[in-house]
Amino acid sequence: MKNEQMTVRENKTIAEKTYEMTLSGPLVEHLVNPGTFLHVAVPGDDLVLRRPISIAAVDQDAGTCTIVYKEEGEGTKRLSRCRAGDSVDVFGPLGKQGFPAEQPSPGDDVLIIGGGVGVPPLYYTARELAKRDVSVSVILGFQTATAVFYEQAFRELPDADVRVMTDDGSNGHAGTVIDALNERPSPPDWLFACGPRGMLRAIEAHAAHSKTNGYVSLEERMGCGIGACFACVCETGDHTSYRKICRDGPVFRFKEVVL
Amino acid sequence: MTGVDPRLHVTLPGLTMKNPVMPASGCFAFGREYAELFDLSKLGAVAIKGTTGAARLGNPTPRVAETPSGMLNAIGLQNPGAQAVRDEELPFLEGYDVPVLANVSGSTPEEYVHVVKTLTTAPNVGAFELNISCPNVKEGGIQFGTDPEAAAALTTAVKAVSTKPVYVKLSPNVTDVTAIALAVEAAGADGLTLINTLVGMRIDASTGKPVLANEKGGLSGPAVKPVALRMIHDVRQVTGLPIIGMGGIQSAEDVIEFLFAGADAVAVGTANFSNPFVCPTIIRELPAWLDQLGLESIGAFREQGANI
Repeated sequence: MKNEQMTVRENKTIAEKTYEMTLSGPLVEHLVNPGTFLHVAVPGDDLVLRRPISIAAVDQDAGTCTIVYKEEGEGTKRLSRCRAGDSVDVFGPLGKQGFPAEQPSPGDDVLIIGGGVGVPPLYYTARELAKRDVSVSVILGFQTATAVFYEQAFRELPDADVRVMTDDGSNGHAGTVIDALNERPSPPDWLFACGPRGMLRAIEAHAAHSKTNGYVSLEERMGCGIGACFACVCETGDHTSYRKICRDGPVFRFKEVVL
Repeated sequence: MTGVDPRLHVTLPGLTMKNPVMPASGCFAFGREYAELFDLSKLGAVAIKGTTGAARLGNPTPRVAETPSGMLNAIGLQNPGAQAVRDEELPFLEGYDVPVLANVSGSTPEEYVHVVKTLTTAPNVGAFELNISCPNVKEGGIQFGTDPEAAAALTTAVKAVSTKPVYVKLSPNVTDVTAIALAVEAAGADGLTLINTLVGMRIDASTGKPVLANEKGGLSGPAVKPVALRMIHDVRQVTGLPIIGMGGIQSAEDVIEFLFAGADAVAVGTANFSNPFVCPTIIRELPAWLDQLGLESIGAFREQGANI
């Protein structure tokens, strides 16, 4: 965990209200685990909480990392106004448990399902898998065509099978990621998912199979981001305890927590 | 320990502090997470998370919401319970040269007494902070903090079993905070901490529903600083009891304001979330403020009548 002023290299729109920001700084060296996240301070003293933002890509050679965020309120609106050369106060990487990209073997059936702004950490994961010659099947779900991003980036991964679903059918296939999941002939060996909680709940319900190693990445309103404030907790699957999303996660195995 | 400026030393009942700065209860858990970031021995004290008799899982999420220059929280006193705090959390803090202010919460006087009995033998607990003002649990806390007689009775009950000094954390959600302060002083309180959070709420304009699952929560952060300063000032006019002040502190300059208002030491809460290094940063910057003000020590705020 480091706290530093990172330099904005690029900040651009990649879909409706969705931005991709590339940052550089020594902190990048610490980014080695896909699924972990950065806690970004929003410009302006009046917004006291940092924003947890997932990492979409890391380029150690260039010393840069890429984060993707959606403009949903005043904080992310201010982030969207950052320009190349600006500094952003970043704390991270946070989270002890990311997607286990080091575990699948080449030839394993690896399925990735991303919904909306939940797609970015899966792209980081897919790239790490590609480095180890593990190819992936990808289902991306969005509300409508203008919200779609990273479709081409996933298609450029070696042997990636990419399917885009939109609620209104304006891009790819009409329907949800669950529709696409149900059309698959057999359960995958690995399933990595990130997106709205309802989507994750449905994925777990439809894909929980003894053969499948399933992992989901959760999001919740956070305070400290390091496990001290107990704001972003979730119940364990056996209802007896809790996990802190920021510290124990943000990625959890199927059934480890109540979705 | 090197790097400790003796001008910052503050001695309060039960708490011999290298400096007047501690993280506020509920914003620092039991120190483990922040210990990965800096040496906890740099702190004046550590106020641990509110501890109840049995373990509590707390409220449903969302538990926090941002507000202009502040935040609302409704964690709901999630904690592992007094015995686990005694056995598993306090020993960790024994590894650091820092006294502990143990925040005690409960639903009944008996529960407060139980927690204090359980924790009072811990060697590093310097003093207790009675949370009589948590706004986030339906059955507990706040009723003790808004009724002078209930606050006094609880203080008396706890004092009877505690071997350590007892501070009472006052609620800002009252008409006259001095009445509560005087009541607990008469009941034997060794010190006061104030303020706890202000009860508030936010509503999602697109749905008409409260943002917090608990509907209401406690407002903290810079937005409450003027309220905290006013209440500390008011309480200082009526009592000589030690006061640990808190409410929106995020800089050394803020600390100086609190010392002028009548606080003897301070606690830093929400600012830990935006800047996890805020406490050591403030501690490092305080000597320059003493120089600028021409004061010999933190104690001089009291001794020289610098409090306004």
